[in-house]
Amino acid sequence: MKYDLAIIGAGPGGYVSAIRAGQVGLKTIIIDKQYVGGMCLNWGCIPTKALLESAKLYSRIKTAEEFGIMGIDPKTLRYDWVTAKTRAQTVVGRLTKGIEYLWKKNNVEFVKGEAKILSAHEIEVSDRLIQAENIMIATGSKPQALEGVDSKLVIELERLFDLDALPKKPLIIGKGPVALETLEYYRLLGIPATLLVKGDNLLPGLDPYIVNFMKKKLKKAKMPVHYSEEFTIEGSECKVGDKVIKFDKIINANWRTAILPEMNSKVELENGYVKVDKEFRTSIPNIFAVGDVNGESYMAHAASAQGLAVINRLKGIEEDYDKIIPINIYSVPEIAQIGLTEPELVEQGADFKISEFSLNANGKALAAGTAEGFVRILSEKKYGEVLGVQIVASDATDMISEAGALMQMEGTVYELANTVHAHPTISEALMEAGFDWLGKPIHKV
Amino acid sequence: MRYVFNFPDIGEGLEEGRIIEWYVKKGQAVKMGDALVKMETDKVVTDIPSPKEGVIVTLFGNEGEIVNVGGPLTELEIEGEGEAHAPNSEEPTNESVDEDGFAGVVGTIEVAKGNSFLPSTGEGFEEEIKTEKPKGRTLATPVARAMAKDLGVDINKVKGTGPAQRVTKKDIQAYASKPATSVRTNVVTSDVPDVEITPITQIRKAIARNMAKSKNTAAHMTIFDEVEITTLIDIRKKYKAKFAEDGVKLTYMPFILKALVQSLKKHPMMNSELDLDNSQIIKKNFYNIGIAMDTEDGLVVPVIKSVDQKSIKAIAMELADLAERARDRKLSIDEMRGGTFTLTNYGSVGGWFGVPVINHPQVGILGVGRITKRPIVVDDEIVIGQMLPLSLSVDHRIVDGGETTRFIREFIGYINDPISLIME
Repeated sequence: MKYDLAIIGAGPGGYVSAIRAGQVGLKTIIIDKQYVGGMCLNWGCIPTKALLESAKLYSRIKTAEEFGIMGIDPKTLRYDWVTAKTRAQTVVGRLTKGIEYLWKKNNVEFVKGEAKILSAHEIEVSDRLIQAENIMIATGSKPQALEGVDSKLVIELERLFDLDALPKKPLIIGKGPVALETLEYYRLLGIPATLLVKGDNLLPGLDPYIVNFMKKKLKKAKMPVHYSEEFTIEGSECKVGDKVIKFDKIINANWRTAILPEMNSKVELENGYVKVDKEFRTSIPNIFAVGDVNGESYMAHAASAQGLAVINRLKGIEEDYDKIIPINIYSVPEIAQIGLTEPELVEQGADFKISEFSLNANGKALAAGTAEGFVRILSEKKYGEVLGVQIVASDATDMISEAGALMQMEGTVYELANTVHAHPTISEALMEAGFDWLGKPIHKV
Repeated sequence: MRYVFNFPDIGEGLEEGRIIEWYVKKGQAVKMGDALVKMETDKVVTDIPSPKEGVIVTLFGNEGEIVNVGGPLTELEIEGEGEAHAPNSEEPTNESVDEDGFAGVVGTIEVAKGNSFLPSTGEGFEEEIKTEKPKGRTLATPVARAMAKDLGVDINKVKGTGPAQRVTKKDIQAYASKPATSVRTNVVTSDVPDVEITPITQIRKAIARNMAKSKNTAAHMTIFDEVEITTLIDIRKKYKAKFAEDGVKLTYMPFILKALVQSLKKHPMMNSELDLDNSQIIKKNFYNIGIAMDTEDGLVVPVIKSVDQKSIKAIAMELADLAERARDRKLSIDEMRGGTFTLTNYGSVGGWFGVPVINHPQVGILGVGRITKRPIVVDDEIVIGQMLPLSLSVDHRIVDGGETTRFIREFIGYINDPISLIME
């Protein structure tokens, strides 16, 4: 039995592609060794957001009196890890069932097992031979192991739910969104955590303006952040230069590395990732690679978008993949960025202008007590095309989609300014930033 | 009441025109018939008169810019005008304003439907954004629109490659850089110092389009022949001075035209048109002959109407007048349409034989070369003949070789013995 498409990996790259492939009539099989929904659904995006939500609520309840809610006794207020964990697992369970249901409805076959690519058209899964016209590698990535650290001390995010209790003095080692979100989680719960950033950039790929904003905020919250590639672990102490950080557990939020399937017919790699062309084809043309494994992005939504582009191509729809991928970070307040950053525009020699609007002058943000943040728009000067949007706000990760839609259709600041935004909303800040660009902000001098 | 005057189709199937000169300014009062602007179209340079009395509010486009037919030219503030003429009125106004109401420059002017355009300015610029959303608006991204306006690209002509054929920034950039691209394909690039790149004129555009259309449509067949014209030369010599007294220059052309029309009358298929869509041939009982004229800007083909009903002298006068006005590009559109057959005289610039391209959808075109003295055999004697070379291209879809040869022999008969022209 020959398949049109065999997908290895059931994360957001693979599972979304499988559904679409089924929808468009491709005979599809999807293989995963463990997780329906991949890291994203099982120990990444979704459960961490569920846990963060518990932590946010816990933190917010502490400010209840400020909002006129009395009777909450800080002494008895307690965060129960097991209950929070169970809730997160319930959410995960519901979503993974949903995926299996969607596969079934779209005639996608699912096989659990470790896949081995035998040739350009053959995959072996637990002694079963699967023949396919096309193969899609969507095996994802995982944090690089922390070298020189006793693995017994380390909590891998994948093993998060195995924990019976929260660490008391966690040390987070790594960088990027996962490291920051983990730090935020402990901050919200009032657990004294330390972040050791490997390298000198807390959030690689994000505009320095956002990074500086976050650094200041962490400093104000007295969350220690150290920067160093070098460190030594001795017992429950981590030495960074002459600083000593005490910890009971280390959380691995290290930069990521590709998870490669076993291959007889090897595809070409580049810096440890599967090398792909613009169509996401590997060095073997009928084998595609989407998502983290090709190293182009670590975002779940990027993996899905790439996968859908491949399915389109298999159905003969030839189009350039010109997607603008937003980056979301679920800190408090949230961070969202899309398009080009200031240094990138400078490097390109672009003639651009930056307009900004602070949430301090936004009605809804003030009413909700979440006025910390801003909207920043980077646009080229001649036509006003929006080239980058950066949002720090309580719901920045949702707000960024407006900017995404605008940019995907090559919108300008004029459309942004001309779109009537409902009042009161935090999104009004986008319109105000548009007005600001035109030199006529309403709520700014 | 505001009234937007759209660039009217002043010729058959005209698509666009270039603004040469504005005669009016913003705020200026104009009367109906006052010339607003000098436009270059692919056929003529002509003044566009105002269709109404009013005050100029907006001029759409700067000198040198291209305006599409149906696209806005000017906006007028008109006193006491009813709502029905408003540009955003739902009811389409398709007015035919006849010559009497005008200075009579370009004859009948079709005023494009009031809501069939998008004011090209203002797109993407806040203070100028118009609220009206015309029908049939090209789907394009905001940046593409702003860029098209900036680069003077007609967005309606750009093929969109975005979702649902949406015109994107990339499409405008590709379109705007097209001329350079086509030069490159000829292995010449703009960075070669010996190359001069100039934009093509409207007239050259029209020639290019028409010639390619003819070659792509008609099944060209050309036959060559020659005719001895000593008698004709004598006749011309005799009347030349006489005509000159009246200020008329007599050339061979009026005789050739007469002979041509006489021949067409005997071979009606040569004066017809193929209507493939309706599986029919349209024979024309009128004889309007187009005369290919070489001008500095390129080829123009004014038409002498009803040649069969005109005298040699009348034709001679008309030819001289057309030639002069063709040089000055003052021919009207009307004077260049309605031809049923074409004559091209490259002999006047020293040419001999040629393979003329048919003026589609006509059946044929006759090319005449330069008259030369050559030895010919008459009654077994070698004598000096005054030979006129003929090249006749026809559309083989309509006429075959036999008919074509019979036609040219008929023509040769008349030219060889011009008296026969008045004998029938």
